[in-house]
Amino acid sequence: MKYFIILIILLNFNACVKQNQKKQTIIYQNSSHNKFTYYPSGQLIPRSSGEGRYGDNHIYAPNIRFPLVDAPAYINSQVYGIGGLYGKKGSLCDQKNYQYPWSDNYCEKRGHAMPLCQGGKGHQGVDIRAKDCQNSKYFALAVEDGIITYIGSYSIKLRGVSGRTYRYLHLNSHSIEVKRGQSIRRGDKIGLVSNNMGNTKTSIHLHFDIKQTIRFSNGSSKQVYVPPYSSLVDAYKRLLEGRP
Amino acid sequence: MRLLLLPLLFASFLYSQNGILNVSWPILNIEHQKPSVPYPLILTNSIKNTKLPVYIPSSYVYDKQMIVVSDENFYTISFFIKNATIMIAGDRTFQETISNSDMELQRLLKTSSLEFIQEEGIMNIDFNRHGVNYTLSIECNNPREDKRCTEENFLYKIYNKLIIVGGKK
Repeated sequence: MKYFIILIILLNFNACVKQNQKKQTIIYQNSSHNKFTYYPSGQLIPRSSGEGRYGDNHIYAPNIRFPLVDAPAYINSQVYGIGGLYGKKGSLCDQKNYQYPWSDNYCEKRGHAMPLCQGGKGHQGVDIRAKDCQNSKYFALAVEDGIITYIGSYSIKLRGVSGRTYRYLHLNSHSIEVKRGQSIRRGDKIGLVSNNMGNTKTSIHLHFDIKQTIRFSNGSSKQVYVPPYSSLVDAYKRLLEGRP
Repeated sequence: MRLLLLPLLFASFLYSQNGILNVSWPILNIEHQKPSVPYPLILTNSIKNTKLPVYIPSSYVYDKQMIVVSDENFYTISFFIKNATIMIAGDRTFQETISNSDMELQRLLKTSSLEFIQEEGIMNIDFNRHGVNYTLSIECNNPREDKRCTEENFLYKIYNKLIIVGGKK
């Protein structure tokens, strides 16, 4: 009986935490009155879209540039957004997909093996919508000085001087401004955000992820996709402050 | 409860400490490894200063159209096949270190079994050999229908035929 009561208390407490979590929106406003709002890292919207890494506010890639030229831009779910596969019916270009608050979608439900996600599967990065729904209008930029190591039919890899690999997906393949092996600088243009997924199409967005190697103190190591959301929130604040 | 523990866990999770991994060089039989036909110059010249074992799929080692991007600490090689791109990459750097005391995180990260995964339509495998991390992948022009990208068999065969073609100790 004692354990049953403890279990009930814990379940209720957990439910309360989740409820409070759902209400939490962070407001950012700088001296120029640029304002944006975002949900905390790991808080996925809608809740049915999966379990993120709530509480992991670590900035894995410090001081990166925001990967789009200008604000506003919107980090939110493609799959669970309006018009998405599991989202409300409507147009992918619905205005509600292009408004704050941002919501993290790292670890959103996917079949991809992801050791840092609860259950071991999830989305490796975040999806970012540009200012509006226009295809092939907005440039994605290098987030760090580095070298272009790979260009496929719809993905590009930038290896930063930090050793992190940043992956840009769905850029218009006819708009790519970099070559394999080219050294580029932070802020250089890479290509236009589009719906390119090879011969098939996806929604108009930039999928952005960060892969890095984590070493254990016993000397072994593993490459993983780390959560990019906090790094991007930090980068976006600097963009809004005019010091990208 | 897990939600309560997560912030605590990650507060002690990572601390910045980047660097170079120690490479455990394999003992190779030089005669056995020596190619009967010299490897293309684009390959040998590009990896002559790369300080990690350079693996490459044996079926493509003489492909003169390959693109090699490399320096001392990493390499990426792309091969262009019909309607797809194969990529092999190796890297001996690390960007973060986890303390042994973070047992839960160590457990999360130490999934040791090799797993071929399709992520964003790209079939991929990450693996560690000689203390170095490697990635092998194939990206198809038609990722939803091309079996090379929807099933693991094609990449599995390539993975099983990786050979070391160089690397500077």
